[in-house]
Amino acid sequence: MTELIASVTRFWQRIPKAVLFGAAILIQCVLLVLMVADRMQILRDGREVTLQTQPVDPRDLLRGDYVVLRYDISQLPAGRLTGKPSGTRNPLVFVKLAPGANGLYEAVSVHAEPIAVTAPEILIRGRVLYSCGSTSPIFCDKLTIKYGLESYFVPEGEGRTLEQARNQQKLRVVAAVLPSGRAAVKRLLLDGEPVYEEPWY
Amino acid sequence: MFDKAYRQRLEADLVQWEADGVIAPAAAASIRNALPPLSPGINIAVVVGIVGGLLIAAAFLAFIAAHWTEIARLMRFAILIAGMVVAGGLGAWFASRGRIVLADLCASVGAIIFGAGIALVGQMYHLGDDFAAGMLLWSIGALAAAVLTGSRGALAVGLVAASIWTCMRVYDAPDVLHLPFLAVWLFAAALAFAWHSRAAAHLVAIAMIPWWVATSFRFEFDGAQPSFVLANGAALLFGAGLAIAAAPSPRALRFGSVLSIYGAFSLATAAFLEVTTVDDIVRFRAGSGAGQPLWAIVCGVVGVILALVSAGITRRAGEVLAACAIGLVLLAAPVWPASMAGESWFAYAALLSAMLCLVVSGMLDDVRPRVVAGWLGIAGVIAGITWSVKGSLLRRSAFLAAAGVAAVAFATALNRMLPRVQR
Repeated sequence: MTELIASVTRFWQRIPKAVLFGAAILIQCVLLVLMVADRMQILRDGREVTLQTQPVDPRDLLRGDYVVLRYDISQLPAGRLTGKPSGTRNPLVFVKLAPGANGLYEAVSVHAEPIAVTAPEILIRGRVLYSCGSTSPIFCDKLTIKYGLESYFVPEGEGRTLEQARNQQKLRVVAAVLPSGRAAVKRLLLDGEPVYEEPWY
Repeated sequence: MFDKAYRQRLEADLVQWEADGVIAPAAAASIRNALPPLSPGINIAVVVGIVGGLLIAAAFLAFIAAHWTEIARLMRFAILIAGMVVAGGLGAWFASRGRIVLADLCASVGAIIFGAGIALVGQMYHLGDDFAAGMLLWSIGALAAAVLTGSRGALAVGLVAASIWTCMRVYDAPDVLHLPFLAVWLFAAALAFAWHSRAAAHLVAIAMIPWWVATSFRFEFDGAQPSFVLANGAALLFGAGLAIAAAPSPRALRFGSVLSIYGAFSLATAAFLEVTTVDDIVRFRAGSGAGQPLWAIVCGVVGVILALVSAGITRRAGEVLAACAIGLVLLAAPVWPASMAGESWFAYAALLSAMLCLVVSGMLDDVRPRVVAGWLGIAGVIAGITWSVKGSLLRRSAFLAAAGVAAVAFATALNRMLPRVQR
């Protein structure tokens, strides 16, 4: 064992340092690129879903150029999940969405596991923020869910307009949703008109 | 780390011995020549240069931040990549010139920039906020850099990120053991072992503590006492360290010694926590159940077995006493009565005896940190017993007096049995 470690160490020391440092940087760059590529896949392959935003507490300050977004589907009754063990404090859930008459998607039901859906219904994946239970976590009767669509960074100075539109419920978000339920913000609509379009990269 | 201090002491001793005629001048010269040259370390010019570099880097960051939102997204991404490339390139240059410390620093800075990059990419591309997953990604990148560049700093960054990840996951799922962290820890431990590095061994030993603490305090089941779970962890760390150090390899000796030192201090801390928190502060138990999950008990027992195995290999009396110390701390848990069933005299006696065994073990094996850990444990346990908020103060004073008399009697008997040192 010691000889093996010594021989590996000798081999390692023969490799030029530039190669080793370069490989380290390459791996880190690849990981960052993978983050972007993962999101690009959602925007490219996901189905478009238009969601109505909800007003957020007006005392929340605009955090620089970062708008807080909340949706009609952010708080939902747990339905059949009420009281059931959730396994973790912040469990993943799958919300079945269906388009309404106005083209906006609304929540139909909440599930702990992915279920089969038929178009135009779609399943979106979210994470429950709070759980109930004193000894082990269970689903509360009302679930607050985050879908990864709750923040949007805009150029400085432009957030205030969006915030006001959000609080007047004039702001809508078009999200791209994959069959797995993962979602990303694709477009912001103000009074039905696109104001921000997310490029792939 | 202590090479320079040792050399200074040795030089002073050599001069004194030459003056006293203990050794001949030729012998003193031979001793000096036998030692390898001291590494140059960091000189003042390098320190000032590092400060200058940090100021320039900070100015660059502030300039970028001031114009961040005006810069196109792809350009921002390119700036992040460029930052990592510059850090890595400098590190490679320093490494090729034998400036290992500076190369290590550059690799560490690169790992930190990578972490900042994850946060900034998440912000730029509005990625969902799974902070724990971000920490895991950071840890993976930093550990990859540590493996490739041999950077202790990058290892430290990777372990810190992994510790944050595991604490968040443990908090999220308190009923489930977060075992993936152990895979990361074992990987880092293998790295520290292969490097034969004391600094890396310290990092790895420290990195185990957050997982045990988070698991002990979040593992929620009836009657659990976090200090009992912590004691099992300390037992495993101590016993495993002794067993590894017993292997016939300088790498194993260095790595295992560091682990066992942290194990000894953790054991003393666990003993102090047991005395001060069980049934007092954290949770009250209605029944005198185990107060700890089965897996934790198994870890503790394995720690005792490993310590005994080590004693069997090395044939050192101190290690037998170390195993006794571990066993006595673990014994305190099952003999601890429920909160309303009386005071924990047997448990107190077990803990005091354990800390005494730790001190004597350190003295017999000439391991000073173990002695210090034992003394701190004794002080902590006595303080905890004396100032406990529950129970009768009179009974506690009687217990402490009886324990003191027993210790004095034992010391007297030992004094007669042990050979006197001739002066």
